[in-house]
Amino acid sequence: MIELDRVTKTYGNKTAVRDLSLRLEPGELFAFLGPNGAGKTTTIKMICGLLFPTTGSVRVGGFDVRREGGKARQLLSYVPDQPYLYEKLTGREFLQFIADMYGLSAPYAAARLAEVVELFRLEDFVDDLTERYSHGMRQRTVFAAALLHDPRVLVVDEPTVGLDPRSVRLLKDILRRLSEAGTTVFLSTHSLDVAQELAQRIGIVDHGRLIGCGTLDSLRLQADLSGSLEEVFLRLTEEEAPASAL
Amino acid sequence: MSVPPVGQFRLFLRLRVRQMRNTGRALLDQSAVRLVAILAASLTVWLFVYVVSHSGFSWIKGYPQYVPAFGGIIGLLFDFMFVALGMMLVFSTALILYSSLFTSSEAWFLLATPARDDQIFSYKALGALGFSSWGFLLLGSPVLLAYGVVYGVSWAFFALLPFFFVGFILLPGCLGALACLLVVNFVPKRGKQLALAAGLLVVVGSAAWVYRAAAAARVQPESREVVNQFLGRLDVSQGILVPTHWMTRGLQTAGQGYLLGGPRGTSGALYYLALVWSNGLAFYLLTTWLARRLYRRGFNRLATGGTLRRRYGGARLDRALSALLGFLDPQTRLLILKDFRTFRRDPAQWAQVLIFTGLLALYFGNIRRLFLSDIDYAYQNSISLLNVMTTGLLLCIYTGRFIYPMLSLEGRKFWILGLLPLERERLLWGKFAFSATGGLLISVALVLLSDLMLGMPWLAVALHVLTVMVLAVGLSGLSVGLGACMPTFKETDPSKIAAGFGGTLNLVVGLFFLIVVVGLMSVPWHGHAAMTGGYEVVGAGAMSGLGVTSLVGVGAGAAATWLPLKAGAEALRRMEF
Repeated sequence: MIELDRVTKTYGNKTAVRDLSLRLEPGELFAFLGPNGAGKTTTIKMICGLLFPTTGSVRVGGFDVRREGGKARQLLSYVPDQPYLYEKLTGREFLQFIADMYGLSAPYAAARLAEVVELFRLEDFVDDLTERYSHGMRQRTVFAAALLHDPRVLVVDEPTVGLDPRSVRLLKDILRRLSEAGTTVFLSTHSLDVAQELAQRIGIVDHGRLIGCGTLDSLRLQADLSGSLEEVFLRLTEEEAPASAL
Repeated sequence: MSVPPVGQFRLFLRLRVRQMRNTGRALLDQSAVRLVAILAASLTVWLFVYVVSHSGFSWIKGYPQYVPAFGGIIGLLFDFMFVALGMMLVFSTALILYSSLFTSSEAWFLLATPARDDQIFSYKALGALGFSSWGFLLLGSPVLLAYGVVYGVSWAFFALLPFFFVGFILLPGCLGALACLLVVNFVPKRGKQLALAAGLLVVVGSAAWVYRAAAAARVQPESREVVNQFLGRLDVSQGILVPTHWMTRGLQTAGQGYLLGGPRGTSGALYYLALVWSNGLAFYLLTTWLARRLYRRGFNRLATGGTLRRRYGGARLDRALSALLGFLDPQTRLLILKDFRTFRRDPAQWAQVLIFTGLLALYFGNIRRLFLSDIDYAYQNSISLLNVMTTGLLLCIYTGRFIYPMLSLEGRKFWILGLLPLERERLLWGKFAFSATGGLLISVALVLLSDLMLGMPWLAVALHVLTVMVLAVGLSGLSVGLGACMPTFKETDPSKIAAGFGGTLNLVVGLFFLIVVVGLMSVPWHGHAAMTGGYEVVGAGAMSGLGVTSLVGVGAGAAATWLPLKAGAEALRRMEF
């Protein structure tokens, strides 16, 4: 569903992502981890067609993101770490805009809108202007918008930051259910416990290079450790740092 | 299930309408005062321009023998106006589009949806056009209406005026949009330098053009041949292929009532209207067609054209400013330097100041060439006063747009400044010193240029310089003080803070202060000169009267500086974050 083939991305003379190859299957929940500045957000932006690879290619649902970006973006939803909402629209008007943008028919859009409002418990504030929303309310509204059109690929950047424990629980349940229903979820996070709990596979990127990718057990083998994901992550990124400095 | 382009266009249109409707409702529900203040300020400016234009046209109509190039003066004025307003539209659309297409979070959001690139571009471009054409409407419409009223033109002029306006906005707006797209795509790393070079080119080109036109305008208007030669020299603005001239010709023929065709087989107003619209729409299509190919490409280039972490170092300008402020204590100096760095690293901010100051300098530098040989000292007297007012107005805009939002913009990082071992009010003094220094440099230079070019006597020069100094200091105190009394910490966009209730109130109070100070410090001398018919101040009474009104003006300036700053410092001390 998501294919990155030998992708490299440079910013001027700096390389943000280096020769990254990755293939995600339908229904897979993939966690993408890495220290700050490792290249996670650049990778996500290339998957969404916001940035183009310097070399290599990115495909979503079989569509090349650069050449057939419109078709690729029709299949995916992206929830950034700092989501955007139109301040002068109500939550409901924003959701309706998204439904129209994805070309949902009026009756289907109305039904889906009611579903997501209930799912994310937006009833109390969905008719207020979004400029009055708290961070948690904004995040829930953005997730509702992202799921409105039943995307086949969901790309999420740091979804749990600023959410209360109940909202985090809700979010984790929803991501798990989406994956079970066949949606591919690409989750970039610093919350290693969330990644450990949800992900079927985990990729670790450091200095733009994918230094580990697989199940938690395979990563443990690679790191020669039997501990938690946190210990594995620290070991692998620790090993990578001096090598990349050479 | 992708949405066709027409559907997307309607979708974006609906989005815009909903946003405007909700904004209007929120304004009415939460701050009707703000809405009234905005409307009142706009109406005041509109009426002011109308009254000045009405007097000007009446004078031209009443005394044609004093007017250079008599018969062609109206067309010439219209050409000047449309060229100037067109330039303003090109630059403002390009600047607004640059930030809304390439740096706004809305652009990041929309580009990740299935919205087509040309549709996003079109939505943003039309928004930028609407935003930047407010100035065009506010300044252009009263001039043209005054012309229509004074000359008693045909109904067709008034009926077609809105259509000419809207049609004309498309062309310079699209030119600005096109420039923005091309710069981002082909010189993403040198955009700032290119914008500066383009600005300089426009200023130098305009100066050369005005110089040529002025040289021609100073000839004796009695000879028909000379007049034709004069009009011929203005070929840049009057060429058959120049859109600004289509506007002029179209409105003039509409004023004469020629809709379909004029006398001796010349074209009618509708022909020029069709020219303006067809070219505007064709240019719009070309720009959106290019945007489909270049927008996302440019977005990618701009995002990745530089290095991951751009290195900013100390600049010579910072060191020069630091040396200039050597008399201040180190903490205040550091705060001023921080504000200066923020300001100079945001081209959208300083470019506006630069363009306005450059245009004023251009006008002041050439005014003598245009008028002095033909018009007696009474006119020179009023022009110099008008220039002081204009400089004051520039100061009002500068402090209202850039200085007033400065304290609100500290809101989200107040935990840094709030925890520093310094008194909170020092923040205010730092911003005040920054604003006053910039304001003094700009305004004194402009007024000196204007007065020297007009050859004003030393007493008038001294009074004018003192007036703008009081204005620069007083308006800085007002903006910084009121900014601290009515902060908007949630907002991060300075233009929105300036357009908010506090910003609008600041602008209205600033305009009132401008009228009071100019009225006390400059108007008495000009009034005396107009009444006595000379520049000599006759009698000890008159001289002491001038001294008293100037002192009262300085006192008003001191009050406008001290009182808001004191209130702001008090508000800042009590503020919780």
